[in-house]
Amino acid sequence: MTFAGLAAWQGWLLLAGAVAVAIWLFLLKVRPPRVIVASLLLWGRVLSESRELTFWERIRRAVSLVLTAAIALALALAFARPTVRRGHAPSMNGRILVVLDSSLSMRARTRSGDTRWARAIADARRLAVSAAGEVAVATTADGLIEGPTSDVAIIDTALDRIAPSAAPVSGWPQLAGADAVYFITDGAIARPLAPGIQVHSVYEAAANAGIVAFRVRPSLDRGAAGEAYLEVANFGSAQKVRLRLSRASTSLLDRTVEMAAGESLRQVVRLGHGAEREVRARIDAAADALDVDNEAVASIDRARALTVTIVGAQTTWLAPLFADNPDVNAKFVLPADYQPGVEDAILFDRWTPRDAPARPALYFAPPVDAAWLAGSGATPPGAAASEKQPQWTIAGDHPVVAGVDPLTLTIERAHAYGSPQLVPVARSARGTPLIYVSDIPARPRAVIVAFGPAESNLASAPGFPVLVANALDWLAPADARRTLGPAGNPDVSNLGRTTASTSRGSAMVGTGGTGRPWWVYCAAAAFAAALAEWWTWLRRITV
Amino acid sequence: MALRFQDDFLKKLEYLHVVSKREFAGQNRADRRTPQRGRGIEFADHRPYTPGDDFRHIDWKAYKRLNRLLLLLFDEEQDLPIYLILDVSRSMAEPAKFDQARRIAAALCYVGLAHLDRLTILTFADGLVQEFSPGRGKGRIFRVFDQLERLEPGGPTNLRDSFKEFASRPRQVGLTVIISDFLDPSGFEVGLKILRTLGHDVCTVHIASQADRDPGALGDVRFVDAETGELRELEVTPRLATAYVRAWEAHAEELQRFCGRYGIGYVRADAERPFEEIVLKAFRQGRLLA
Repeated sequence: MTFAGLAAWQGWLLLAGAVAVAIWLFLLKVRPPRVIVASLLLWGRVLSESRELTFWERIRRAVSLVLTAAIALALALAFARPTVRRGHAPSMNGRILVVLDSSLSMRARTRSGDTRWARAIADARRLAVSAAGEVAVATTADGLIEGPTSDVAIIDTALDRIAPSAAPVSGWPQLAGADAVYFITDGAIARPLAPGIQVHSVYEAAANAGIVAFRVRPSLDRGAAGEAYLEVANFGSAQKVRLRLSRASTSLLDRTVEMAAGESLRQVVRLGHGAEREVRARIDAAADALDVDNEAVASIDRARALTVTIVGAQTTWLAPLFADNPDVNAKFVLPADYQPGVEDAILFDRWTPRDAPARPALYFAPPVDAAWLAGSGATPPGAAASEKQPQWTIAGDHPVVAGVDPLTLTIERAHAYGSPQLVPVARSARGTPLIYVSDIPARPRAVIVAFGPAESNLASAPGFPVLVANALDWLAPADARRTLGPAGNPDVSNLGRTTASTSRGSAMVGTGGTGRPWWVYCAAAAFAAALAEWWTWLRRITV
Repeated sequence: MALRFQDDFLKKLEYLHVVSKREFAGQNRADRRTPQRGRGIEFADHRPYTPGDDFRHIDWKAYKRLNRLLLLLFDEEQDLPIYLILDVSRSMAEPAKFDQARRIAAALCYVGLAHLDRLTILTFADGLVQEFSPGRGKGRIFRVFDQLERLEPGGPTNLRDSFKEFASRPRQVGLTVIISDFLDPSGFEVGLKILRTLGHDVCTVHIASQADRDPGALGDVRFVDAETGELRELEVTPRLATAYVRAWEAHAEELQRFCGRYGIGYVRADAERPFEEIVLKAFRQGRLLA
C-alpha cells in the first residue's frame, strides 16, 4: 500500500498512531458523576443477582472499541489517501525505470489544489525512496532524464527540473536491465504499453474549457489575408465562457457564451491585411482546470508579402513561379547589378557573391569555387565530388524538402560543396548531397540546391514549386513564420476521461489522484462508523 | 427547617389519638384504659372481699342478693407510654426524608401530648443517640419542636444494636413507633424482633424518598454510600435501573410482610407525599391514629 499524501512510513505511522490514540481515548476512563445515595444495600442486592448477559451485552464494549478504532483508521486513511496495488507486486529490489507522462494534460489542477504533475512527481519520489536498487527517470517527451542511480538526491534533482511540455512524444524510454517499469500517467493520451509495465494513474476527473483548434487558414475572400478558425470545447458542466480574439492590440472578438456540458463552439473571424501576423485567442471560464489550453497563437502566413530578390543572368525560368503571386514581391536583378538589401530572402541562380550574403538565401547550383561554399575543399566522407545522374529517391523529413516528390526530378549532375557549415538534407542513392541547408545561430540561413535547371528538369518538375515554397518559408525571418500555441489537442483538454485504467497488458496501480476520491470514501466510512458507534452507545443506555 | 404546624392542623390533630392494640399500664392518671383495676369510674368486675380491702368498695346490693361480700372493681385509666424512635443516621440525611420524619414525629408527639400520654423521643443511628421526654400536656409541643429542629443526621444505621441498647434500660412497655428508612445492611428483622419480644406494641413508619426508590441517573455513575462512604461505579442501564426499582419494592414488601407476620404496624410515608395526607389518612388507615 502506498499513500498519495505521505511517504509509506509516514502513512503507516499515521494509521498506527490514530488507532492507538483512539483506543487509548476509549480505554481512558472519564470520572463519572458522583451520586450520593442513602445506601448501596439495594444496589448490592441487584448486582448480586446472577443474570445471564445477552449476546449483545457481551460484545457491546468490544463492538464499541472496534468502531472507535475504525473511525480513527478511516479518518487517517482519508488524510493519507492510500492506494492498494492490484495485480502482481512490483519488484522494488532491482533496477527500476520511472516514466512520467509529460503531456500537457498533466498540468491539470485537481480538487486538492495540486496538479496531476505534482502528484506524479510525488509518486515518482516515493518510488525512488522505496526502491532498494538503482532508479532511472524518464519522460514521454524527453526520454531518459536521469539515472540509473541509487542516489535519491540525484533523482530528486532530476524530478525538480522536468515539467510537462507540448513537445512531441519520443519513443518509449528504454533502460537496459530494468527489473520494473513504472509509468505515471493520467491516461489522457492512449499509449500502447508493453506487458509488465506498472501504470500509476494520477487521473482525477476535472472540469475544463479549452481551445481545441485554432489556426489561420486561407480565405476565399481575396481582399482578406485569411480567416481565423477557433474551436472551443467545454468539458465540464454548463458554464459561461468568454472568448477573446486579438491581433496585436486590436480586438477582433470579445463575447461571452453560455456553453452546455460537452458543447463545442466554432468561430470563424475574417482577417484583413496588415503588418501584424500574430493572432491570439484566449478563453476564460470559471471551471477550468487546465490553463495551457486557454490561449493559442496563430500566424497569418501571408499577412505581408515576402520580398525576394532573384539574382542571376538567366532567370527567366523562375519568372513564372512568382508571376501573379500576391504573397511574394519578386525583384529580378542581374549579378552585376546586385546590391545587398533588406529583402526577406535572396534567390541566387547559378551565381553567388564573393562573400556570403547577410540575408537568407536560396542557391541553385552555385559555383563550386565560391570560397565560403567550398570550405576546405574536402569532400564529405562517403560522397563523391560530383555524381552523374544521381538518383534522389527519398525526400527526407527536413522542412525544406517536406512534400517534394523526388521521383519526378531527373538530375544529370549534382555538385558537391565542402563547407562544414552546410548540412545535407537530401542525398542521392549513392550518398551524394543534393540539397544542403545552413542553419547557424546569428548567421542568415541558406539553402543550396546542388543542381540547376541546366543539369536537371527542375523547372518543369512538379516538386519544384514545393521546394521553392518550402525554402522561402524556411528562410523567411522568424517573425514571419507560424507560431503555435499549446492548445489544439482535444485529448489534452478533455480532462474527464482517461485510458489509464484500460491499458492492456499492464498492471494498473491507483494513486491518490485516481478517478476515485478515496478520501471521500474513507470520510464516508468514518461517518458511518460514527453512526454505528452512536447507535452502539445508544443501545448501551437504552437496553 | 422550622417545625411549626398551622393552628387548624393542630386542632385536627387534637381530635385524634394514638392507637395501641394492647393496653399498657401507665404511671399517671389519664384517659387510657389499663389492664389494672383501680380507681376509675367505669365498673369493671367484682371480686370476693378479703380483709384489708377498702370496705367503701363493697357492693352492698350484691351482698343483699347473694349474701356474699363482693368488692366492686373499676378500670384504672392511666397514660400510655409512647416511644417515638427516630432514625437519624446518614441515610436519612436527604432533607426531604429527614424533614418528613421529623414532622411525623412532631405530629405523633402532639397527638400523644394532647391526650396526656407519656412520650419519650429517642434518636438512633448505630446506637441510641439521644433521648428526651417532653413531659405532659400539649403545651410541651414547642419543646419537642425545638429538640427536633436541633437534630443532625450522622452515623450508620444499625437497628439491632440500637434496639438492644433501648432494651437494656428498664422501661415500661408501651407503644413504640419507629420512624426510619430501614436501610440497614445488617437487616431490620432482629431489631424489630427485640422490640416485639420486650412486649411493646410496635409500629413502623417507613420513610422513603424518590431517590431511594429510583436511581434516576443513567449511564456511568459513581454511587457513594451516604453512611459508609463506599464507592461503587456502575453503568446504569435502563434494565439495571428497573432491576433496582424492583429490588426496592421487594425491600418495602419484605418489611411490610415481616411487620404483618409479627403483628407490627406498618405505614409507608413517602417523602414526596403531602405530610397532612400521611397523618390524617395513612396513619388512620394504618391504625396508628384514630
